[in-house]
Amino acid sequence: MYLLCKWMTKMRSNRLKIVFMLCLAFVTTGGQHFESKVAQLLQDETEHIKCFVEGKDLTCFWEEEEERNHIHDQYTFTYSYEKKNKMACAVSSLYLLASNKTILFCKLPKTPFFTTLDVQVLRDGRMLYTRSLNAENVLFLDPPRNLTVMSSGKEGQLNVSWLPPLLKYMDDSMIYEVRYAVDGSNMGKVEVIKVSTRLVLLGLQSNTRYKVWVRVKPDGVAYKGYWSAWTEPVFGVTPPSDVDPLIVLLVIFIGLILCLLSLTVILSHHKFLLKKLWPDIPTPEHKFPGLFTVYKGDFKEWMSHNNGSMWGRSVPVYTEELPSPLEVLSEVSLTSHGTSQREERKPVEEDEEKESERSDSGLTDRWRDPPHAHWLMEQLRALQENPESRSQSSLLQSHDTYVTLNQGDNEQQVDDVFEETLPLQTLFTTAGTSSLGTSHSDLGSLQQSSGSGRLSSQSSFEYPNHTWPPKGPGYAYMAVADSGVSMDYSPMSSSRIAELGKHRMYTNDYKN
Amino acid sequence: MFHGSGLFALLLIVLEWTRPGLSSPLRPICDLRVLDHFIKEAWDAEAAMRACKDACSIATNFTVPLTRVDFDVWEAMNIEERAQEVQSGLHVLNEAISSLQASNQTDVLQSHIDASISNIASIRQVLRSLSIPEYVPPTSGGEDKEMQIVSSISELFQVHINFLRGKVRLLLANAPVCHQGVS
Repeated sequence: MYLLCKWMTKMRSNRLKIVFMLCLAFVTTGGQHFESKVAQLLQDETEHIKCFVEGKDLTCFWEEEEERNHIHDQYTFTYSYEKKNKMACAVSSLYLLASNKTILFCKLPKTPFFTTLDVQVLRDGRMLYTRSLNAENVLFLDPPRNLTVMSSGKEGQLNVSWLPPLLKYMDDSMIYEVRYAVDGSNMGKVEVIKVSTRLVLLGLQSNTRYKVWVRVKPDGVAYKGYWSAWTEPVFGVTPPSDVDPLIVLLVIFIGLILCLLSLTVILSHHKFLLKKLWPDIPTPEHKFPGLFTVYKGDFKEWMSHNNGSMWGRSVPVYTEELPSPLEVLSEVSLTSHGTSQREERKPVEEDEEKESERSDSGLTDRWRDPPHAHWLMEQLRALQENPESRSQSSLLQSHDTYVTLNQGDNEQQVDDVFEETLPLQTLFTTAGTSSLGTSHSDLGSLQQSSGSGRLSSQSSFEYPNHTWPPKGPGYAYMAVADSGVSMDYSPMSSSRIAELGKHRMYTNDYKN
Repeated sequence: MFHGSGLFALLLIVLEWTRPGLSSPLRPICDLRVLDHFIKEAWDAEAAMRACKDACSIATNFTVPLTRVDFDVWEAMNIEERAQEVQSGLHVLNEAISSLQASNQTDVLQSHIDASISNIASIRQVLRSLSIPEYVPPTSGGEDKEMQIVSSISELFQVHINFLRGKVRLLLANAPVCHQGVS
């Protein structure tokens, strides 16, 4: 039978090949997977005598060397259990079509387990191969049966289940390997599972077709063996993702409506919102026309160019006679009168010291007699009648600053006044245009930079109108106007102020 | 603290003395993973003994049970016969390994020897929980079970692992107590 089959392999016609395949079916007794097992062990097993247990029967085979004829006559196979009597086994041959090799094999029916088996192969009476093994260590199982892959209903999951190979006593000693891959792809993942014959695959792509294979092996505790062949692949499709398209559409629609509503609200109130979020920084630009645009903040230049027009505009009436308004801050009797008197007037302001002025109200000091209070009221009345002066007074109102001067001796006072004016002068002249131009709120810092703590505390311009308090001893006045944002005069000569009797001090805290 | 633990130990001893002659029925241990755990430890011992070879050679011979299982023969035996085979084999194995405790071995090997002895005792408890008959020494007229002789420690532990994997496991896997609910 075997020779007939071998002869038939040499025929090329299809019909003979079919006959050969049928012949092979006769030859291969035992499990349907016998030949595949032999082929697999032929590659994997390193021993000369390769043995495996299929079912309850042990099969040992070895590869036949080529160039030999009548192979099976020359070989002898002997075996013995527990070093007892040797027994012989009938040798058979098998031709493997896939690998073009011939193997010789012997089957030992009803092999005892858990005991040592010694096998030998003799060729022409001489020992060729020998091996000592335990039958329960070379189990070669059939692949699992009835592999099914079903959708579990949940996204990205598949339920895989199978049945173990038909074997007694070994159901609880098996370990399985599940391989799965996207249909068409070569990249597969492997999951190992013990004893249980069902598995849930997680983390899969939605709405995708997957291929699944399973194989089995003894777990190695009670029984040992080789991995079985993979089952035929079974296909399964994962369910589509859960997200309902209708819900997605509704969400998008509502989102659009909300966006439109918010846009409408923002556009209708954009001015208000802009004002709240990004408030305008007040500038004195409108009060100092051309200071920042034409003269780039150079106050000296601006003053020199605008002095005539400005002062002419603001103080049309009181050019020669009326001084700048001041606040009465303290009453002190003066020793001498003459030198201390200094008209608060434009000519004074046009002095060099006048450069220190920033506003239309001049830097002046005056001495006023208490008895001249009524004259003061007259001036007030006159000023009210004059609209232009009022504008100046309104300017003054908006740029109120508070400066106090201390009085002492006339000379001293003059010196004091000079000293006191000097800081302001230096304030205005130092750093040139840049300091004044950059920020009109930097007078405080200028003051600090010049180290002038000599300015007295802020003087408040008390009179609502632009008045020119009359000259008189005992009073020193100084009016300084600024932007109103950040003048910070530190109290000056507080000790001297304290010397004075009753005095009123109005401080206006400017915050830088 | 000492007084508390001492009293507790005394209480346990008294209870042990006064326990009834027949032990209370244990909960049947049908899970084979318990035995698999002992088998894994026996594998470790066998591997350690196989590796030591020269250092583990002893001049004495050991009487050990046969480990061979013919499935046809085994299936033909009833539960009592199987039980007797297993119990006698465990008894003999226990004696053989216990004889090693007296000999001077390395600490590693000694730990394996001690573990094997305690595992055999635990297996006996498992069998007792499954209501499997205890070992009955053969009477003078009765036949003793077949034994074999081995001459090395590695062979002794090979027999040990093969016996546990084979006969003991087959007996436990098919214990009637565990299959009562199953038709």
